[in-house]
Amino acid sequence: MNLTSLSAVEIRSLIAGKEVKAEEVVRAFLEQVVKREPAVGAFLSVEGEKALEQAKALDRKREKGCLAGVPIAVKDNILIKGMRATCGSRILKDYVAPYSATVIEKLAAEDAIFIGKTNLDEFAMGSSTENSAFLVTRNPWDSSRVPGGSSGGSAAAVAAGEAAAALGSDTGGSVRQPASFCGVVGLKPTYSRVSRYGLVAFASSLDQIGPLTKTVEDCALLTKVISGPDGRDSTLADRPVPDFPKTMKEKLGPFKVAYLKEKLIGKIDPDVKAVYLKTLNALQDLGGELIEMDFPAWEYALPCYYIIAPSEASSNLARYDGVRYGFRDPDYASLREMYFNTRTSGFGEEVKRRILLGTFALSSGYYDAYYLKAGRTRQLVGREFERAFAEVDFIATPTAPEPAFPVGAKKDPIAMYLSDMFTVSANLAGCPAISVPCGRSREGLPVGLQVIGSHFQEGRLFQLAFLLEKKVKFENNKNTINWKEER
Amino acid sequence: MKPGLDIDYVCALAHLRLTEPERKVLAPQMAKIVEWVGRLDEIELPVPSEAPGFHLPFSLPLRIDEVRESLPLESVLANAPEKEAPFIKVPKVIEEK
Repeated sequence: MNLTSLSAVEIRSLIAGKEVKAEEVVRAFLEQVVKREPAVGAFLSVEGEKALEQAKALDRKREKGCLAGVPIAVKDNILIKGMRATCGSRILKDYVAPYSATVIEKLAAEDAIFIGKTNLDEFAMGSSTENSAFLVTRNPWDSSRVPGGSSGGSAAAVAAGEAAAALGSDTGGSVRQPASFCGVVGLKPTYSRVSRYGLVAFASSLDQIGPLTKTVEDCALLTKVISGPDGRDSTLADRPVPDFPKTMKEKLGPFKVAYLKEKLIGKIDPDVKAVYLKTLNALQDLGGELIEMDFPAWEYALPCYYIIAPSEASSNLARYDGVRYGFRDPDYASLREMYFNTRTSGFGEEVKRRILLGTFALSSGYYDAYYLKAGRTRQLVGREFERAFAEVDFIATPTAPEPAFPVGAKKDPIAMYLSDMFTVSANLAGCPAISVPCGRSREGLPVGLQVIGSHFQEGRLFQLAFLLEKKVKFENNKNTINWKEER
Repeated sequence: MKPGLDIDYVCALAHLRLTEPERKVLAPQMAKIVEWVGRLDEIELPVPSEAPGFHLPFSLPLRIDEVRESLPLESVLANAPEKEAPFIKVPKVIEEK
């Protein structure tokens, strides 16, 4: 039996039925990591010994949690006590987390096993995982291409069978876009559904932690586990968390789906457009009523996002000054010089670009023209969603405007930013959104469909995504690396 | 105010320094990005009915104001770049004129 091709739910059930030991599962995944990492480079650190210890302890345990023995990869901006958390940055190269994120505590309580920390664009700023200070992660479907970003390491680890599931973070599409590029399922939960305690802050009003998984059922299970109240994050809503894996299988009933007007999808890759239109037909076959909708403010969502996110980032990243933790440049004569030298040599180019942009947007004389205006545009985007959800249950869009692009292809920052054109709106409005693999380009690269729901409607998203998954029968284990071996 | 980014001024505010080659790449890039985000000027925004900022369409509960334990000193110091326990060492804060 090839354990590494199984879903989290399948692994859990084998372990619960005593058909396989957690230790065997972890060993199989660690072997896979050794085999695949030279081509993929998904991990910044692999915690093999700790994972095996955890597995052995679990095998001795009688009562096992709902994620017992499931090897999970965690994006390196989410803290696990005693493990490194570099955020893909030189400035946190040697930082060891003194506590665990709430999501990690919740997963650990269900006996999940943490296999390692995954690569990302530095501080989650990027759409290709090329901005990491340490390595470039490759797409398991085609190693000349990027896995997307910024949770590219997490998406690639799941797609390459190096982890059964993973956690990422999504500020403007950083879970959904890599999920689409790597042929896996990815969810950005409703803002305030999942605790951000222990997630290194990028843009606090947009950041959410979300799962990347092989199946919709796994995604529903992980979301159920990581959601819910936490006294350590004051932006968390006091809402009950439904039993998503159970409610996912309930009958959906009649539903309405908004799809985008031609002018909004006009300029995207033709293969992505073809998959999008085909999947809309599939939604219709599933009983959905399709309604064409215009979202005029979406055109401004990207510039709006690229003011708000860098502004919040410039403030959040002010803490990296070489004083309390992280890297301190050894060459300085005064405190001020230490700040300048540490930040100058610690941050990479994209992070500097965004800090500068954010500092500018917040600076005296420009605040009203940029930050304030972006805040008001954000409200407009939110109101458009409200109006849409008064009429429909879901909004379906392509997840990304193109399939995975070649490494090094996007030198122009604005060209890279356009990769988030369909995903940022859900962050701006705080709505949940899922990416489900729905087809392949002519070159065989995965293409995802994004489904957006209204606040706290993750349950409905999983219901639809589950039906869609069965309908389109996307084979997520047929990526290039697996395929070569199978031959 | 007309958009115009003085990169040296913004760098000083952000506590960043650019090398000359970095400056050559970043300055025109930043000007282009500022022009691109400036597209928001095209939108006719309605007269604001609410305060600016991020509004969730649901309320968030306030937590109880209670004393909680903070991180143990050793684990905090373990990540300090320079230390002389139980303190984090920093350069002299008050500079001599």
